[in-house]
Amino acid sequence: MHLSRRSVRPSRLVQATGILLMSVGPLLAQGRTEIGIPVTDPLVLAKCGTCHSADAHGNLQRLSWARATPEGWQAALKRMIREHDVALTPPEARAIVKYLSGRHGLAPEESKPVMYYAERRVHDETGLNATVLDACATCHDAAVALSWRRTLDGWRQFAQTHAGRYRFKPDADAIAYLSQAAPFSSPAWATWSARAHPPDPTGRWLITAHVQGRGRFHGEMDVEASSSGDDFLTRVRLHSVTDGVAVMRRGRSVLYAGTAWRGRSQGTGAASTAPDDLSTDAREAMWLAPDGSSAEGRWFWGQYDELGFDVTMQRASSGPVLLLVDPPSFKAGSNAGRIRLIGDRFPAEVTPADVTVGPGMTVRRILSSTPGEIVAEVDVAADARPGQRNISFRSTTLESAVAIYDRVDYLKVTPESSLATFGSQSYARGVQQFEAIGYQRGPDGRARTADDLELGPVPVTWSMEVFYDVDASAYDRVGTISATGFFTPAAANPGTNHDVWIVATAKAERGQDGKALVGKGYLVVTVPTYTFEGRTFVRELGRWIEEGSGAR
Amino acid sequence: MRTFTSGLVLFLAAGALATAHHGLAEFDQTKAVTLTGTVTAFHFVNPHTVVEFEVKDDQGHVQTWQAEMTTPARLKGWTATSLEPGNVVTVTGYRAKSGAAFLWVTTLRSSNGVELKPPK
Repeated sequence: MHLSRRSVRPSRLVQATGILLMSVGPLLAQGRTEIGIPVTDPLVLAKCGTCHSADAHGNLQRLSWARATPEGWQAALKRMIREHDVALTPPEARAIVKYLSGRHGLAPEESKPVMYYAERRVHDETGLNATVLDACATCHDAAVALSWRRTLDGWRQFAQTHAGRYRFKPDADAIAYLSQAAPFSSPAWATWSARAHPPDPTGRWLITAHVQGRGRFHGEMDVEASSSGDDFLTRVRLHSVTDGVAVMRRGRSVLYAGTAWRGRSQGTGAASTAPDDLSTDAREAMWLAPDGSSAEGRWFWGQYDELGFDVTMQRASSGPVLLLVDPPSFKAGSNAGRIRLIGDRFPAEVTPADVTVGPGMTVRRILSSTPGEIVAEVDVAADARPGQRNISFRSTTLESAVAIYDRVDYLKVTPESSLATFGSQSYARGVQQFEAIGYQRGPDGRARTADDLELGPVPVTWSMEVFYDVDASAYDRVGTISATGFFTPAAANPGTNHDVWIVATAKAERGQDGKALVGKGYLVVTVPTYTFEGRTFVRELGRWIEEGSGAR
Repeated sequence: MRTFTSGLVLFLAAGALATAHHGLAEFDQTKAVTLTGTVTAFHFVNPHTVVEFEVKDDQGHVQTWQAEMTTPARLKGWTATSLEPGNVVTVTGYRAKSGAAFLWVTTLRSSNGVELKPPK
């Protein structure tokens, strides 16, 4: 199966000619100022070299002076297919993305700051140049731009074509910023691309994960090379810390540039029709640390990728490893509390002296122990100073594993800003899961500052308030929030947007005024066309490139 | 400075509204209302920042109002603690046509010195 547009309209010829003319000057400048990355792959040369001309050094015009994440190259390939009639089979598309993401990729230090885009997270941009915020993040994640590395001329040329396509004026300050913040040549890439051996992800990994509304999970992943050698096969076993529910998944992943883990996995059992079923087919985007010892990222699904696992992984070792501690917080003055140390390869014999719990906490006795879990009884002194505590089992330490607190000052509803979508004949509804997290103010005495102490989920009652509503008459048109904080939009699309407060009212914790603590999250419930209009083709094409013609 | 991105930003862009994701059609722009009250909560979030404050009327009855402003990214220099519970604010804005206790803020002055004339 090929995907291409056979008809070449006059406007496309004009556009292509314009792009070609604009390319000549920058090409010369690129060649003078920076050494390009020669393209050696026959498929890339065959498919890209017909338009991107080669120089005597094997450099392809534009391509050899650009680097990007897999998402960046995939987006570029989609654009070439859509706008420039490049004909590719799915295996060819995958091979090109893999080659370019590896040879023209990003070093781990460069890709980590933009992982939120690959992970499809709702993200607050921080620390960015204001000009770039205005120039780029008005329409999309800043990471869409910062997933690329270009020369100064490359950024200028990109800005010109981008401005022409989307009808805005190129901003010289933004170009200058991007050329410095995202330069084509960098010490990080020079070091990373010259490494002798790419990281090998095969083997056994230990996992901790969080699922919004479901709490924390722990488990393991086995990774082995596939028979083709092009990708990796994964088997995952996870257990809920909250209720022990087991989740088994199998998948297939590719490691681009030795750091960009991209894959897809699904539960071994049949997924139900519930949108938040943990066996649902999921996309995986993870960042592998430069030394190959750890990875972090997200496995996600949903109408706009709103559901999923937040995952961290570390390689299993031959000795004991402490992965997480439950519960995540203890109140000062609590006695005989039960603490669970979850990990791997704990020994058969465990004594209280093996467990170090930090100042103000005392291990009374070990209640039980298995290779994967130690349960102990702890006392917390009434005068224990609020703050995070490291927990250690012998020589393995989990930093900030548990919080000691003396009061809950406020609730934060997460996500603080979120989106849900009404459905239509073409699209299922987009949902949203909320959690209420308790906090104690930190030493500065102010709420919502960096020194605040996170205490973990707080039992709450969920409700909602629709903006501008005076008599709750809008509720039926907007949707419902369940007892577990799961928002489902109304079945009928009202054709309008609604802003909603998702309200968490603490069941037990009260503020200084004696009233139950209340937290609010801002939810926009919108119509499906806003979210998906114009994106349908791109979404399905992305899946087609990844999975082959069967996906379309 | 924060900008809400990902799925919502596409929605914002598609909406193409200067104020963010919705216009001012919900508010009566023919008449400005000025209220003074005590802040009970400040939500420094996208797509709109919102101040909740309590206003006491002549009979001593307390009513909670919500004052809606622009996005955090457009509130240059503001943070999540720019307004805190206990601050006294004087807010001028357009009231929701529905009659709900909502304002779209045009000016805001707080007892802690914070002042706002948000861009439209």
